[in-house]
Amino acid sequence: MTELTVATAGPISTAPVERTQVLSVRQLAFRKFRRNRLAVLGTVILLIMYISAALAGFIAPYGDRETHSEFSRVGPNGLHFFDAEGQFHLTPFVYGLDRVTDRATFKQVLTVDTERRYELRWFVQGAPYTLMGLIKSDIHLFGVEEGGKLFLLGTDSKGRDLFTRILYGAQVSLTVGLVGVILSLVFGTTMGLLTGYYGGWFDEVVQRIIEMTLAFPQIPLWLALAALVPPTLPSTQVYFAISIVLSVLSWGALARQVRAMVLSLKTSDFVRAARYSNASTTRIMFKHLLPSTMSHILVVATLTIPAMILGETALSFLGLGIKAPMTSWGLLLNEAQSVQVILELPWLLSPAVFVVLTIISFNFVGDGLRDAADPFSR
Amino acid sequence: MLAYTGKRLLIMMPTLLLIMAVGFFIMQLPANDYVTRYVLQQGQMGNSTAVLQEELMRQQFGLDKPPVERFFSWMAGFLRGDMGVSFVDSRPVTTIILERLPLTLVISALAFILSWGIGIPLGVYSATHQYKAGDIALTTVAFVGIGLPDFLLALFFLVIAFLASGQVLLGLNSPEFVNAPWSFARIMDFASYAWLSVTAVAFSGMALIMRVTRNNMLEELGKNYVTTLRAKGLPERVVIWKHVFRNALHPLVTMFGQVLAFLINGFAITSAVLNLPTIQSIYLTATMQQDVFLSGGILVLIAITVMLGNLISDVLLAWLDPRVRYD
Repeated sequence: MTELTVATAGPISTAPVERTQVLSVRQLAFRKFRRNRLAVLGTVILLIMYISAALAGFIAPYGDRETHSEFSRVGPNGLHFFDAEGQFHLTPFVYGLDRVTDRATFKQVLTVDTERRYELRWFVQGAPYTLMGLIKSDIHLFGVEEGGKLFLLGTDSKGRDLFTRILYGAQVSLTVGLVGVILSLVFGTTMGLLTGYYGGWFDEVVQRIIEMTLAFPQIPLWLALAALVPPTLPSTQVYFAISIVLSVLSWGALARQVRAMVLSLKTSDFVRAARYSNASTTRIMFKHLLPSTMSHILVVATLTIPAMILGETALSFLGLGIKAPMTSWGLLLNEAQSVQVILELPWLLSPAVFVVLTIISFNFVGDGLRDAADPFSR
Repeated sequence: MLAYTGKRLLIMMPTLLLIMAVGFFIMQLPANDYVTRYVLQQGQMGNSTAVLQEELMRQQFGLDKPPVERFFSWMAGFLRGDMGVSFVDSRPVTTIILERLPLTLVISALAFILSWGIGIPLGVYSATHQYKAGDIALTTVAFVGIGLPDFLLALFFLVIAFLASGQVLLGLNSPEFVNAPWSFARIMDFASYAWLSVTAVAFSGMALIMRVTRNNMLEELGKNYVTTLRAKGLPERVVIWKHVFRNALHPLVTMFGQVLAFLINGFAITSAVLNLPTIQSIYLTATMQQDVFLSGGILVLIAITVMLGNLISDVLLAWLDPRVRYD
């Protein structure tokens, strides 16, 4: 009896509704993504990478073309907290470096002078740079006191700071795949929508072409296409040429998947409703069909980027990719081509660490997105 | 099934024709052809008379004719088994390819067997020991294998081999054996070199297969029939290998063609880095030197291999799984 009166009064009947939250599909997907630790870790790593690439000029202690000719082939000289006497310093420091000619062999030897210490400083003035083509500045995030040299990851044969070069290289390596994926996304999705919606002879022809692109082995064709790029082109055009080369083969797989989805969606009620309410074909395709395929497209795109980044690295490594004034991770690795060089200057391989980290992160994020794209499973 | 295979082979023909056309015309695109480059190069070396040869060389190579005509004569030759003559070392392309084919096939086959033979058991192991130390270690290795570019892997192995033996294991034989007939000593020497390139090529393929096997196995292990089997008291070995593994194999077979393409891709760059006498490494130099017939021939050959790989994987699937129907 009391129960009934309470129920009619209302406050309790709303209580269970308050407890069960109503989540949209997007929220569910986000929750599922967040539960995948590796995917979240990958996202964080990628965010850090892209942000540092965008702010390369600020984060890098030197300018991208700044050479320290006296200090070529210097190994990583890390920051110390304890000095030679074992005393602790709150501000980390580097030791002074000297180039001395060995009297006996006439070889240039690099010696570390533990007498001279240079402390780490924040926001130091250095080589001028332009951030994202907008902000001009010469303040660098960190550096050491006047006179000292800080080479976190060592220098190359021309005396350029490797850490700085890796940051600038990231601008190319991380974006070339992105541009390539966007190109193949736009082309692949449009083709998938058109062929799936219209069908007929057009579909047949495009399917044959796609079959061909799928049968083509990627790297050999990339090599052939990259060899086409004239060596005289300015480096920005080479950059775009390479991203086009990378996207030539990947649109096909995407177009196929979009087509398959469109084929099954074409007969669904909401598309029919749209058609009966006199929506134009373009509207049906881009307003009704495209959003339904979007989550799937996103997953495929994320999983395609790493292959493209690896492709760029390989092409640049072979000398067919990005060219000199520009720099990329593949081009940096190009210097470490022989066993001799690797044994002598092992730090030249450090860009590889960043390549591996990026590829793995993209794979993690892609896996997470794939699970999240279907938030109702399990 | 025979009808299906036949039909697939028929469909392959137009695709192949398209591949040949695209492959050929891509190589025609640069403004400078081989002869212009040759003359330029000779000029830089101080040989100014090369200009006089230009027309003659063009005629000799057939480069004076329009591209379409050249394509058809190339294709007609292709059907007769004549793939043209290499510009650079003026020998028939077929000879060059056949010369390098056996070693290429040996290395590819070894890498293929290695990647499947190791990848599958490791994948099964890491699925059955999910989140144990072994699985975590294997997963890390697999991700490094997928993330590390092939050429770096090759370099990495090269350095390790050097540190271990003090030898730079470039190529597939010691210099004194390169032109020697195949004897026991040469085979031993070959083995001491080949392990490096085979592992380098097989590694990323293995990583891929391991991951896919693991995922498939985990998916199957979660299904109800596994619980039933275990409840019936079947030994775990039988549950895994006789029931779960067989079901998990299905997507792996579909990957057959993909893994083949993967190996060929990886091989192209590894060959260049390790200086292997394979088809892929000469493909790279031929492409850079615009040796059209040689690189075109190899490109078509590789494309055929990938297409056959896809066909084999489809046929295998139909053979393994009676539920798959083709019309």
